[in-house]
Amino acid sequence: MLIEVLKTIISPVAFAAALRLSCPLIIGSVGGCFNEKISTGNLAYECFMLVGAFFGAYGSFISGSPVIGSLVAVLSGFVLALIYGLLVYHLNCNAMIVSIAYNNAAWALTTLLLVVIWNTRGQFTDPRIVSYSTLDMDFLKKVPFLDTLFNNNILLVYLAYIYAIIGHIIMYMTPFGLRLRGVGSYPMAAQSAGISVRKYRWIGLIIMGCSMGLAGSYMPLSGMSLFSENMTRGRGFLCLTSILVGKGDPLKTTVIALLFGYANAMTLVLSTFNLPTQIVSMLPYVAVLAVLLMVGIRNYKGAKNITGDTI
Amino acid sequence: MTSGNETIAKPKRFDLTSGIWVEVARYFFSFIGVLLLGALLIYAQGEDPLKAAKLIVAGAFGNRVAIGNSFRWATPCLLTGAAAIVAFKSGVNNLGIEGQMYLGAFIAAVIGYFYKLPAGVHMIVCLVAAGFSGVIWMIIPAVMRLFFRINEYITTMMMNFIATLFCDFFVIWVIIPSLGITTTTAATPNIMKGARLPSLIKGTSASWGFLLGIFCCVFVYILYRYTIQGYELKQVGENLKFALVGGVNVKKTFLSIFVLSGFLGGLAGGVEVTGGYYRYVSGFSYTMGWEGIMIANICKQNPIALIFVSIIWGALKTGAMNMERGTALNRLTVNLLQMIFVILVSIDFEGIFKFFDDRINKKKELDKIIRQTGAQNAN
Repeated sequence: MLIEVLKTIISPVAFAAALRLSCPLIIGSVGGCFNEKISTGNLAYECFMLVGAFFGAYGSFISGSPVIGSLVAVLSGFVLALIYGLLVYHLNCNAMIVSIAYNNAAWALTTLLLVVIWNTRGQFTDPRIVSYSTLDMDFLKKVPFLDTLFNNNILLVYLAYIYAIIGHIIMYMTPFGLRLRGVGSYPMAAQSAGISVRKYRWIGLIIMGCSMGLAGSYMPLSGMSLFSENMTRGRGFLCLTSILVGKGDPLKTTVIALLFGYANAMTLVLSTFNLPTQIVSMLPYVAVLAVLLMVGIRNYKGAKNITGDTI
Repeated sequence: MTSGNETIAKPKRFDLTSGIWVEVARYFFSFIGVLLLGALLIYAQGEDPLKAAKLIVAGAFGNRVAIGNSFRWATPCLLTGAAAIVAFKSGVNNLGIEGQMYLGAFIAAVIGYFYKLPAGVHMIVCLVAAGFSGVIWMIIPAVMRLFFRINEYITTMMMNFIATLFCDFFVIWVIIPSLGITTTTAATPNIMKGARLPSLIKGTSASWGFLLGIFCCVFVYILYRYTIQGYELKQVGENLKFALVGGVNVKKTFLSIFVLSGFLGGLAGGVEVTGGYYRYVSGFSYTMGWEGIMIANICKQNPIALIFVSIIWGALKTGAMNMERGTALNRLTVNLLQMIFVILVSIDFEGIFKFFDDRINKKKELDKIIRQTGAQNAN
């Protein structure tokens, strides 16, 4: 049985599932990198994603086109980001409190809208929520391994990986990215160089809001055609974790997001073997803690030598 | 009064830029804002706002059972809020209260069911064990922060996920098979009678956990207000360099912040099991741990204010359930309004007042300068 399990773990089907499932995490966290670089202490990723998921479903429902659905989701993320920015940057609210309130309110808001608009509680399934159709590429069909891996995914999955590369290019190869990172690492210096700190904070926030909305729209439009209460189930926090561990670097963040996606795929793949899925889902978190510890060991200065700069 | 006194500047009676008036204005305007928004929200759903408000008040304080239920739902807020106050007052971002709650609840449920102890002792053992499991869960981020400079912001959040999965794993794969029962819900069996907290008001779900919560808040208040240890804890959070120069053992102090916060977080879970659910149910907390962080910040990290805010929070929760029974409204409407209240309260009115005050002052000064220079030019 062990061999069978191992075979399943490294099978192309598992990897393909991982590539698919990590798509919302990648889209969200690459956008979130721009927000993380300007260091505003935003934790509200879960809210943006859940509201994005709802409006993705709603947009597709009323228009019959998944692309419009995604656009509506992006718009919802944009509006939420506007309110967030107004509260935090202009009215000086505590970012953490606003974030937590956002996260808690998102659940209430989406469930209320579910009741008001569709008059159901819990879950809404309807064929009128049109999902993205899968892209079938002929030239991949002849290659056996790559076919299962890359073929027959929806548009957003391919977009996610392009998005990660574009994110890396913008962050590290353009003047805009340089200024953004400058604003994050030392706002005073950026200010004295004539860069408007507030403007860059707004830009970072809005990029994050729109990407999280798009990421949220993946969930109802990836083939299931449904919206359920608390649909994202902590995926926003996974985005946040991968951003924090990747330190706002789009490519590193993508790798961490892939790890989470792979673990997510494992829980699906291994469920046929009657194995404890909780342990499997726990593994990426433990792995991330281990990675953090490995990186942190360099900072160890001996038990006695703890002074102010440690903390 | 002679006219000579007029030269002495009178103190402003209503200084809107600082002091208690800002606080009063903050809560007053937030409350008004929430009432207006709430009325709008309820009206939009086709119900009468006044009727809904009446039902909320009746459901929260209308009779003995209602008051008991309000106290029952205030209990977790009190304990998680106290845990958050300890952490955030000292500059530790403990986002892992949720995870500590889960672990504490799980340990309390296991001890409550599997071990037979004398009635009173059993309860105390359960609660203390729950608290210490929270401490153990918090020690890992503490060590990573103190020795390896890894921000507890990330680690505590990761520990949340691990805690919930860990408890679910034990419940589903170890405890339920070992008992040989078949259930549809992932939950442990009910704990023994001797391990349960006695009820505070007869016939209601309020337990002594409420008193324990108030005791913890008062304890935190006294600790920070009247003891040297508390002063050191606060000092480390507010000004680390000053604390170092003053000879505070920073390492020990930081560790004790983590330990105390973790203990209170674990205790919150323990009280939920011994005084509320009587068993560990997978996913019981929803967002109680996060709510604690929020409440702690609404009341400006003041433990005494926390008691009142928690009671209001519990009352709103039970009132909302009553409203849901009486009208077509969903109880999440109230939840949404609570969050709007949180956001409105956290707006920095003081800063905004100061901003406008400064602008007016600057304008006055500018006018003065222009007038003076104008006068000079005229001369």
